[in-house]
Parts: sequence; structure tokens; C-alpha cells
Amino acid sequence: MTEPATTALRTRRGHRRVPPITDLEALRGALQTALQLEHATIPPYLCALYSIRPGRNVEAAAVIESVVMEEMLHMVLVANVLNAIGAEPAIDRPDFVPRYPATLPHSDGRVIVRLQRFSPAAVDCFLRIERPEPVTAPPRAEGYHTIGQLYAAIELGLQVVSAQRQIFTGDRERQIAGNDRVYGMAGGPVLVDDLASALHALSIVVDQGEGIDHTIHDGDAPLGEPPMLAHYYRFDEIARERHYRPSDTPRTGPTGPPLPVEYDSVWPMRTDPRASELPPGSDVRGMTDSFNAVYTELLRQLHRGLNGEPDQLGTAVGSMWALRWQAEALLRVPLDSTGDTAGPTFEWAG
Amino acid sequence: MADLSCDVAIVGAGISGAILARRLAAAGLDVVVLEAGEATGLTWEGYQANIRKFLAAPAKVPNSAWPNSPAAPSPNVLDIVALTPEGPPGTNGYFVQTGPIPFGSDYQRSRGGTTLHWYGHSIRMLPADFEMHTRYGVGVDWPIGYDDLLPWYEAAEWEIGVAADVADQERIGVRFSPGYVYPMHRVPPSFLDRWLGARLDGQPVTIGGTDYTTGVVPVPGGRNSMPNAAYDGGRGYVPVGAVGRPETGLRCEGNASCIPACPAQAKYSALKTLDAATRAGARILHQTVATKVGLAADGTVNGIDVLQWTGNTFPSAVAGTIRAERYVLAAHSVENAKLLLMSGAANSSDQVGRNLMDHPFLLNWALVDEPLGTFRGPGSTSGIETLRDGPYRAEHSSFRVDIDNWGFGILGSPITDVSDAVFGDGLHGRALRDRLTDVVPRQLMIGFLLEQLPDPENRVTLSPPGTWTDALGLPRPVIRYDIAAYTRAGAAAARACAEQWFDVLGAEDLTEYGSGRSPVMHQAFEWNGRPYATLGAGHLCGTHRMGRDPSTSVVDSEQRSWDHRNLFVTGAGSMPTIGTSNPTLTLAALSCRTAAAILEDLA
Repeated sequence: MTEPATTALRTRRGHRRVPPITDLEALRGALQTALQLEHATIPPYLCALYSIRPGRNVEAAAVIESVVMEEMLHMVLVANVLNAIGAEPAIDRPDFVPRYPATLPHSDGRVIVRLQRFSPAAVDCFLRIERPEPVTAPPRAEGYHTIGQLYAAIELGLQVVSAQRQIFTGDRERQIAGNDRVYGMAGGPVLVDDLASALHALSIVVDQGEGIDHTIHDGDAPLGEPPMLAHYYRFDEIARERHYRPSDTPRTGPTGPPLPVEYDSVWPMRTDPRASELPPGSDVRGMTDSFNAVYTELLRQLHRGLNGEPDQLGTAVGSMWALRWQAEALLRVPLDSTGDTAGPTFEWAG
Repeated sequence: MADLSCDVAIVGAGISGAILARRLAAAGLDVVVLEAGEATGLTWEGYQANIRKFLAAPAKVPNSAWPNSPAAPSPNVLDIVALTPEGPPGTNGYFVQTGPIPFGSDYQRSRGGTTLHWYGHSIRMLPADFEMHTRYGVGVDWPIGYDDLLPWYEAAEWEIGVAADVADQERIGVRFSPGYVYPMHRVPPSFLDRWLGARLDGQPVTIGGTDYTTGVVPVPGGRNSMPNAAYDGGRGYVPVGAVGRPETGLRCEGNASCIPACPAQAKYSALKTLDAATRAGARILHQTVATKVGLAADGTVNGIDVLQWTGNTFPSAVAGTIRAERYVLAAHSVENAKLLLMSGAANSSDQVGRNLMDHPFLLNWALVDEPLGTFRGPGSTSGIETLRDGPYRAEHSSFRVDIDNWGFGILGSPITDVSDAVFGDGLHGRALRDRLTDVVPRQLMIGFLLEQLPDPENRVTLSPPGTWTDALGLPRPVIRYDIAAYTRAGAAAARACAEQWFDVLGAEDLTEYGSGRSPVMHQAFEWNGRPYATLGAGHLCGTHRMGRDPSTSVVDSEQRSWDHRNLFVTGAGSMPTIGTSNPTLTLAALSCRTAAAILEDLA
């Protein structure tokens, strides 16, 4: 096999590297990693969101909710790329679900993700997840440190592999496009059927997470609307308890009005709960098992929705609501004299 | 306050004023909206404060969630008292009621108007509803027909973002433009809708000895469901989320408390259109009560006098005048009539304030023998819609029938179930829980919206000088109201339908209109020796009706005053007959039509 023409290849951030992905199988594997990664961030975000007491931390809750909405969009965008190259997004299986505390799939293991209440530790964890890629960080599909490195590797891989052969052979009917099923997130789904649309879909994922061109903005704002902050900077507003102004930069940090945060106005959820740690036959065990049954059913619905049965995405929305009500009920159950409460465990219940 | 000049001055920031403001401002006109009440719901947090108020309110009536300002008071159904034929008027609250039957409906005077607490039903009138006199020899015909309003229904459905399926509506005789689809797919029918549909849909029901078909049909809702990709020639529809937090409220979340106050703002309110109007450049002045429509010697309007108030307990106010090229009164049926009467304007026909109509709401309730999923989803997602038109309309009112997803909620359930079980039967603990989980889910309630014909004696007048006034010293509306034989006979026919349906369902009929009836049913009357009792539906229509003849109507078909050609009077008050649908969509369509007329007029 000849050496790929690496000198012609650049990531959007100007990388000029030996591409870590050079064949279709590796490309599919990296995209499946990305799909698992996008999903793996959602349970920690939801634990923080649902642990906030009603009517408290209003702005922080809105930030977390807005990020979760976009992570769901990212799953759809990555699935569209997978479907476009004739692969099947795999969601309905036990190894799709992290066992928290977890590392990000196929990462260097330095970011530990936990299921925990809204707290400084949780916000710090979110910042680590969404941290922008340093200019010097090489693209990596294995052992990446930032999510940007993984996507840079996929970007390069898409260019290399699609230059070797036609890879956009997927069934268009499997694409989630238009605004009728997935909506309410900045951007919206992108129909992927060639290299340009695949790169565009992935650029939305990266830009919403860490910002464009090393600014604090995600590049989505319609003309005349205020620019949206990338996820990292939205969480940074919570961490520093202050809003960014549109003219702020990563270097200035936020210089806008205060964003009040009350870390004690939360349900004190025990970190990284497990169903197996709860007494069999207890009410709280039953609630937890029921939660996990709904969660597993939701993953199955998402699997079908992203594998040619798009109407299942509408059904999945109902499961998402059920998940929320059950999580909020669990968060109100005190576990013992420590005052800690139960919480959603997000475990596969096959 | 400083006097203001603009192109168009609009009184009232409810759905009619909001639509006009948005459309006129988007066309480049300088628009000022004068809202008597408070600026509630300008932000997400501000809206949520109303939700918390509703949750804390002991009596959860439509206006519980929303402001009530002494300087711009709203009627409240809690103020209604029983009236006696020769007794004193009911003067609780805002209305002065002289009876003989108390008027049963309220409305809301603040930013967003009564859409703050509406059901969200966005139902077109039937073609027959426009031609009651021609077809059935009762009431009057409209000066326009269904086909004249059809394009404006489509415009209103875009403004509201209506969720419905065309096929459901075609089944009951609603006509559409070729290829039309609603902006959003219908809200999925509730478990109860499907349960009732499986048992009642297609069943014969006898009215006056003739068999008709029972049709359980999903109701078009002003509620975000899922956008229809085929809308607008395949361009689709972008749902509008909560004001100040647009990523929220993009889908109905199934809150049973969405009436009166959707916590997510997935249910449409005029707050959304007002937000768009403001972005288009319209100015909205809150706490600014119009007190007089000023008339020039040539019969045109030359200004609207206002009082701008501050201070909610003991308000103080400053006076001002707004001058414009065109004036629009969009303040709701009673307030429009009140302002015109206070001004001595637009009333050469002597019809201002007359022909007040509502849909007296006849509840029927029963227990069935299996759970129906009560209190899940929006309050009402389907109705029995096939009896809205029929030859019986020559004799008595027809009806559309709301199917409620909240059990006996209108009668106070589940709070009343708890108090009955605790204080009546002494239950507590597990036995109390068992009772509630057994009974509440089996509650079935259907409500008939009965037509009323225009009656000049059902009318709004002003309280005489020196009697009842609000905190600004303005007169309070005096309402004389009765329910005529046409509607009473309709109540009897409706009741007979309910009895037939409960029979088919094997339901235990608990309906009681006599002396033991629920206190929420204020409107008691008899027909053929049997008692009936209704509530108001909040559908106030007819106080400045449109027509072809200036001697019998207040406005023309474009809602332009016959007497003052630069004045438009808009809203459900323009409706000559009330029809068989909840009136909001129709008044919204009329408002879209009037916006176009004003643009043409000023072009």
C-alpha cells in the first residue's frame, strides 16, 4: 500500500500530520467511539441538572440543559456520518454504556467522568470534558486527551479514506435530516452524503463544544442574534460565576455581570450510585431498577431511530421525560443518616 | 406622560393586538400598543413567577396564575354569586351582574391577554356557522363566508403554530386549500381519547328522534408538538419556544396544568407574538389604560386618551394622548364595548355592548370501571365534533363536546376527592391512597359547549356615574345576561346525548344539576321542568358585531367602524354569531385579515 498523500491534508485547525486513520474499518470504529463519547457525557450532565432544586440555580440549570440538548444533536450528527459510510450506529448493547466513574472511551484516561450532584467538582469535570484542543495537540483516535483530537483524527480519516474509494454508500433513508424530528438545538441535523457534508456535520459538533477558531463562540448564531457560547465557555461562566460578554476572549475570561450559583440548593445525590449497592426489595432499589429499565428502553429506541426507523426518535422523547421524572423522584430519597440521597445510576438493564 | 404620535395605535396586547402589531410593524409602520395591565411574562423568570403563584393558589381558576391590578381589574369566576330575580346585582369583583343568570366567564387584562390561560384549542368554524340565518332561520349571517376567511385561518394557524392533522378536520366538514397541512403534527391523542374512540366513535346517537354519528376527533391545538416537514410547500415550520428561553417549550411536555398556565410555554400565548412584534419595532406601553376615543368634527378619531398608572395597591396615574393615522381597539369584547360606550363612539347602530354571547358549558360526569389515565397530558386533546352542525340547529343549539383528560378537575378534583375521603369517610394512610388511586383515574368528564344566539338584551353597559368604579375611577361593566330557550333546549339535547354515551360505556352517571350540584356551576336554569346548570366557557363574543348594514352592526367585515373610518374594532366582539368552535382561532384570523386591510388602507 502506498503512503497516503499526507502533505495535502490539513485539519481545519491547520494540522499537517500523519493521519492516524487510514482505512474504513478504523474510521467506522472512531466514529462509533465518538457516538459513545457524545452519549457518555449526557448522564453526568443530567445528574447535575436534575439534582438542582426546583427554582434554584436557574441560570446554571439553563446552561446545563442547553448543553445536553446539543449533545443529543451531536449523537444524531455522528450517527448520520456513520450511516452515510454504510455503518450501523450501535447503541443497544451493554458496552455502549459507561460504568461510572468512567474515562472517556478510547481516551488517554486522564478525564474521569462521574455521576454527581451539581457542585464545583461536577463543573470542573464538565470543563475537562469540553476543554478546547490546544493548537499543538495531535489528532488521535486512540489515547486522545481532548475531544477535539478525536474529531481531528476522524476529519483526516474521512479525507484519506474517501480519497482511496467511494465510502459514502449509505442508504439516504437512514439519515435524520430536516427539522421535524430533531429540533430545538442550535444548528439542527445535517444530511450527510459526501465528504463536505460529513465534515460540516462534525464541525458543528466540535464548534459547539469548544468554540470556533479559539474564540468563545460556537459560530451558530443567525444573523442579528447574539452569538452562542461554546460549551466550554458556558460551563466556565458557571465555574467563575460570571457571564461572558460578546467581546470577551478565552484570554480575558468572563467580564460580564455575575451569574449567581448556590451549590447548596441541590439534592445531595451520592456520587456514582449503583443499583447493586441498594438493598434488594427496598423501594429505592425498585425505583432504581425501574429507572434503568426506562434508560435501557430509551437506548433501544434511539438505536432503532438511528438505524432506519426515524419515528422511534419521537417515541424516545416520551422515554426521556419518563427518565427525568424517575430521576427526580430518586433524588428525593434519602439513603441514610449522612443525608445523601439516591440518584439515577444509568446502568444497562438488559 | 408625554403625548405620542405613531402610524397605528392599538389598544390591548392580547392575541388580536399582538398579531396586528407584529404584522403592521413588520411592514414598516410605527406601531404603539397600549396595554391596560401589567407586563407579565417578559422574561422566562417573570413567567415562572406566575407558575409559582398558580401552584400556591388555593383555588385554581383561570386567572389564579395571572395579575389582577386594581387599576386594570380582570373579572374572576370566583367573584360570581347566585342572583335572584328581584334581588340586588352581584357586585363582587369587577363585573356588576344584573342577571337573571350570572355571566360565567372571565378574561385577563395584562400583557398576553386571555391567551395566558386559554385551552389552546385552535378550531376553525364550520362553513355552516357563518350562515345561521340562511340555513336555519335563526341568528344572523356573517357578512363574509368561510371561503373569505380561509386564507386568514391559514395565516392564524401559522401565527399560533397549530398542531393538527387535516384529515381529522375534513372528516367533520372543514375545507382546506389543496395540499394544505397544519404547521405541526397533531398532539398525540391521550389514552382516554383512544379509549373513548374505541367505544364511541361511529356509535349512533339520537337527537330529536333522528340518529347521528358520534365522532371522537382530535382537536387542533395551539401547542408545540412536532413540526410537519410538508408545511409551506415542504419548507416546514420552526416551532417557537418560551419567551426569553427559546430552547424551552419546543414540545408539549404533557403538563396537565397547562390550562391555565403551561409551565414550559409549549402552549401558545400572545407573549410569543408580542415578542416578535417588539423585535419588528412595535412599542408596547404597559399599565396604560385607554379612557376615551377622541372624535374630530369630521367624525374621524383624532386620539386616544390614556391613564398611565403605577402602584398596585393605591395606583396613581398620569394622563396622556396617543395620536395615530389609524386606531385599533383590540381590548377584548367587554373592554372594547366599555371604551366605545365611555367615548360615545361607533354606536350609531345602538349595537355596541349588545349581543353578548358565550358557550354555556354543560358538564356531564361519570365513573367508569377502568383507569383512564387522568391528569396526563394537556387538559383536552380530543372532542366529539360531529354534532356541531345538523338540522336540529333550527330548533336548538348544536354543540361541540370537550373530552377532558383531567377527570373531574373542573369540579375540583383531585382536591375534592381528598377532602371527601378524609373529612367525609375518615380515611387516612394506605386506605386513603388506595381510595384516591382507585377513584381518580376512573373519572370521566365531558363538557358540551352550547351555542347562544345573538340577543340584543344580553348586553354590556356602564355603571352609572357615582356608583361602581375601578381604582382609576372608571366605570365598571354592568352585564345583563340570560340563557334563552334555544340554548336551554340545546342543553336538554346535549344531556340526552351524554346519557346515551354513558349507557354505551356502562359508566356510573354522577351528573347532578339540582340543589346538590357543584358550586362551580353558577348558571342554573330549567327546561321542560328539569334542572340544568352550566359554567361560562370564556368565549365572550358579539359586543361590536360585524355586518353588511351600518344600522344593525358596529363594524364592517374588515372590522372597520361604520361611523369612524380610521377606527378598527377587532376581536371576538366582531363575531355576529358564536359558532361551534372556541373563538380564538377565528378572531386571530379576523385580526390577520384586518392587518392586511390597514396596510392596504395606508399604502
